[in-house]
Amino acid sequence: MLRDNTLRMLLTGQNSRHGMWLLPLLMTALVVIWIAIRQPTFLTSQNFQNLIAQAVPLVVVSLGQLIVVLIGGLDLSVGAVMSLTTVILASGAPSYVVIPGVFFAAALIGWANGMAIARLNVHPIIATLSTASVVQGIALLVRPVAGGEIPSVVTQLVSGQPLGIPMAVVWVAVAAALGWKIIHSSRFGLHLFSVGGGAEVARSYGIQVERTIVTAYMLSAIFAAAAGVFIAGRVVSGDPNIGALFSIESITSVALGGVQLAGGIGGVAGALTGSVFLALLANCMNLENVSAFIQTAIKGLILLAVVALQPRKNIGL
Amino acid sequence: MSGVSKAYGSTVALDDVSLDLLPGQVHGLMGENGAGKSTLMKILAGVVHPDSGEICKCAQPIRLNTPRQALESGISTVFQELSLLPNLSVAENMFLGKEPTSLLRGLNRRQMEALTAKALAELDIKLDPTTLVSRLNVAQQQFVEIARGISANADVVILDEPTAALNAADVGVLKRHIQRLKEDGKAIVYISHRMEEIFEICDVVTVLKDGRKVDSKPITELTPTSLIAMMVGRDLGDLFPARATGKSVKPALKLENLRLAPTSDPINIEINAGEIVALAGLEGQGQRDIVRSIVGNHSAHSGHLTINGQKLAMPISEVSGVRKLQGLGVGFVPEDRKHEGLFLGMSIEHNLAIAMQSARLTFARKGNFYTKVADMVSRMAIKSGSLTQDVGALSGGNQQKVLLGRYLLLGSSILLIEEPTRGVDVGAKLEIYRLLREFVQQGGAVLVLSRETIELIGLSDRMYVIHDQRVVREMRSVDATEHDIVDAALNASRNIEHKDKELSHAA
Repeated sequence: MLRDNTLRMLLTGQNSRHGMWLLPLLMTALVVIWIAIRQPTFLTSQNFQNLIAQAVPLVVVSLGQLIVVLIGGLDLSVGAVMSLTTVILASGAPSYVVIPGVFFAAALIGWANGMAIARLNVHPIIATLSTASVVQGIALLVRPVAGGEIPSVVTQLVSGQPLGIPMAVVWVAVAAALGWKIIHSSRFGLHLFSVGGGAEVARSYGIQVERTIVTAYMLSAIFAAAAGVFIAGRVVSGDPNIGALFSIESITSVALGGVQLAGGIGGVAGALTGSVFLALLANCMNLENVSAFIQTAIKGLILLAVVALQPRKNIGL
Repeated sequence: MSGVSKAYGSTVALDDVSLDLLPGQVHGLMGENGAGKSTLMKILAGVVHPDSGEICKCAQPIRLNTPRQALESGISTVFQELSLLPNLSVAENMFLGKEPTSLLRGLNRRQMEALTAKALAELDIKLDPTTLVSRLNVAQQQFVEIARGISANADVVILDEPTAALNAADVGVLKRHIQRLKEDGKAIVYISHRMEEIFEICDVVTVLKDGRKVDSKPITELTPTSLIAMMVGRDLGDLFPARATGKSVKPALKLENLRLAPTSDPINIEINAGEIVALAGLEGQGQRDIVRSIVGNHSAHSGHLTINGQKLAMPISEVSGVRKLQGLGVGFVPEDRKHEGLFLGMSIEHNLAIAMQSARLTFARKGNFYTKVADMVSRMAIKSGSLTQDVGALSGGNQQKVLLGRYLLLGSSILLIEEPTRGVDVGAKLEIYRLLREFVQQGGAVLVLSRETIELIGLSDRMYVIHDQRVVREMRSVDATEHDIVDAALNASRNIEHKDKELSHAA
């Protein structure tokens, strides 16, 4: 009986503020077993490296999205930030200018999002949709079609193999560690949860709610810029449309990972499993030759099913 | 603090109130519902800003613009409403806003948990500091709040009804702790409705009434009777229309064996056609839940509801309750007219006609109720430019009339009204009282609750005094006084405490 309960609590995330992340993890494991049986090529190290490299951008951008979702917000501009990042990197300027430049630009965009939401009380969807539109426009203005060259430093950062470890693995590890540090092991992280749990209550505890919101959006944009750097290094060119799907996909993976979109519940474990699951599913369906259109439909159904299964739709239940 | 005033719109919540808090002294703050205690405390906590007046600490004027400034100025508040974050652990709630950090490892959870365990142990509570607050019961949450307020190491500790959710044994623990704070030279503000506690704990008592300070007196100069006399004691004006003389026995609404919670005592209430019945008592004793459980807005545990002869089992469905009851002729006028009652951005006509429109079939053509609405507006003397004016632009009194008018237009025979005159000026109050009296004279029935006891007495024919989710006394309003009500409520709570104590002794 007791064990039964513990298992259920673990599965549903009922007693944890990390949300329901174990179920997506189990689903991921199921997908891995399924595909390993069906396709022997899946277990080759080459496929694994491919898989991880494909997953990196989504993992990184989802960690940023997680920070914003934890305060009950939403960032629809991350995709545009990624696109802009690749475009800036391919602008031909020296690497010591463009690399700091993309992060500075991202911080500025995140700051604008945060200010619009925290100070001007614009709804997060509208605020980030507007900045997304502006940023997308700028990216298209700079480089209407894909092209240009990426500094070699960036490509090395992405495809090198120091000490025999693929860089993609390093990226996931560093991003996860950084996300963990920020969200679960800092005062700021605790403030994120408290603002998501109840902004007014948090204020009465002396938390600077506005500052927390602005910082959250800045971090989200910076994570998106990092994802953009990785993707630029992989495709070795600037593409103003390359980030298009990532805004929605990052929200999908965060939601799959048991993070409450109302804020206050969730964690790095969830965002990681959610995004890895999505990447694996895509890889698996590609190996199975499932058409891209059916893939999107399947993703949608899985998202609906997982979120509907979550026992608590609100904080505190 | 001296000469502090605060007004919300035209309603004065605090008028020139001064208070001296001395170190090593427990200062009791008493007053009826709406006397201004909460506003005063919110000002000290930095949540609300006073319109005038100043607050000094050790002869230095201090500014309390934000809760953080209040904390930094050494004022720590334990609010009456639970204000913990459910998605954080006990330890995190204790230290939120002042978390210990270490340079290398960031947030120092271990230290937070150790200190929390220590603070909780001092209060004799066994709680794992890593538990999420959403897992705690109300009393445990209350203790976490108290522990938080005390551990802030502030010079001034404000406790706003800290014992509301505690049983007798827990209250004992709290009392010992307050004694210790006192010995440490802290100034403590203690708000409570429980007489016994006031006399046991406090050194000085200040009584507020209608936003004004009645008096501050050392507890030794007071008796429970004289204290109640200070809290009430106001003349009934000629505000209220004459009561009906004839006696009706035609029951309009009947609540039988209503239990708000599985463990609470059954409540029986009956309202006859032609009378106004009030639910009285101290604030937050379940009056609101009773009214709301009739329309399904509050989920009661069990009971039966009979309306004009038709019997319904409770709880009433939350989804369809209001609509179903409207069909039976019950109109529910909620307390918060701005959020729950009116569509502020829409016209008077829309607001008045909406109930009649919703009684039609879903896709039926929108009815034209213009003449009816215009009739009602002139009958109720709603002052407005035109029927197309936004309701949000009207004064509080006229807004309230629009809300009432909606249900009168619908032909409701029973009105459930929360706070019929909140934020309404005296002139409009008179008219609302008159309208309600007319309504019952024509065979309607009204169930009303209000924070203003004086209003309840003057307006109603009969009253049920509610305390701790049960009816403690039923009285006729003609010869009732505020004193009777406060007395009935407080005595009821005292009796319960005695019972609790006997039980805990027996155990």
